[in-house]
Amino acid sequence: MTFANLKGPVILDIPADPPAMCIVRALVDTISARIGFEPAQADRLVLAVDEACTNVIRHAYKNKGDERIVVTFSIGAGSLVISVRDFGIGAAPETFRGRDLNDIRPGGLGTHFITSAVDRIEYDNPPGGGVLLKLTKFLPEEEKERN
Amino acid sequence: MNIKVDERKPGVFVVSLSGDLDMSSSPEVRNILLPIFRKKAFHVIVDLSNVPYMDSSGIATFVEALQLARKGEVRFSLAGACRKVESVFDLAYLKDIFEMAPDVDQLIVGEAERK
Repeated sequence: MTFANLKGPVILDIPADPPAMCIVRALVDTISARIGFEPAQADRLVLAVDEACTNVIRHAYKNKGDERIVVTFSIGAGSLVISVRDFGIGAAPETFRGRDLNDIRPGGLGTHFITSAVDRIEYDNPPGGGVLLKLTKFLPEEEKERN
Repeated sequence: MNIKVDERKPGVFVVSLSGDLDMSSSPEVRNILLPIFRKKAFHVIVDLSNVPYMDSSGIATFVEALQLARKGEVRFSLAGACRKVESVFDLAYLKDIFEMAPDVDQLIVGEAERK
């Protein structure tokens, strides 16, 4: 658990361009594994952050690849907090809703993947526009204490 | 993403994918996969054995393919999905909707040739 003593967050600032998403995935995977999440949990977290960034590209930036996404990883106090910050069209939190899974059709699954991977989801509309999405996953030891 | 289409038997098409199936590659897969259902196909198989990662855009592509398959009465199967990819179908409650097999050969063997 050496990551618990990191002096500050890990910050990734990348273009809002689909080919760059493999960089986000690799970093989420590395951090999740080092923290000690089970492989299945780590996979879900990778998928969740990937989907959050995909939503930003698609909805906040309307597929304009010259914009930026800033992903911040904060480890400590029993949790991993992954913040996804965009500077695009601010969306109301109530629009962040998954679809009925009984409805078999393409699309709309990303939100479901995000909500099922993390313990807490928070939104903010920070100064400067855009949305700050905060995904919190309790660390494995913290999870054990809760059970 | 590398995409290879091979008609293994008359009407039996195998689409082999290699690489991550994500927002970046799904449009290309969609553009190649979906028109196959309009050919004289009676079985379309997607080989996922070289796909290490898939996101919701990949699922969306396959749901769209399944809808076309049902409409055209074409058999549609997925083969060789690794644990990570299979878990995405699981998470979406869609694993039972698709015909999934461990490998392509298992699906090809026993597939009668149609004239």
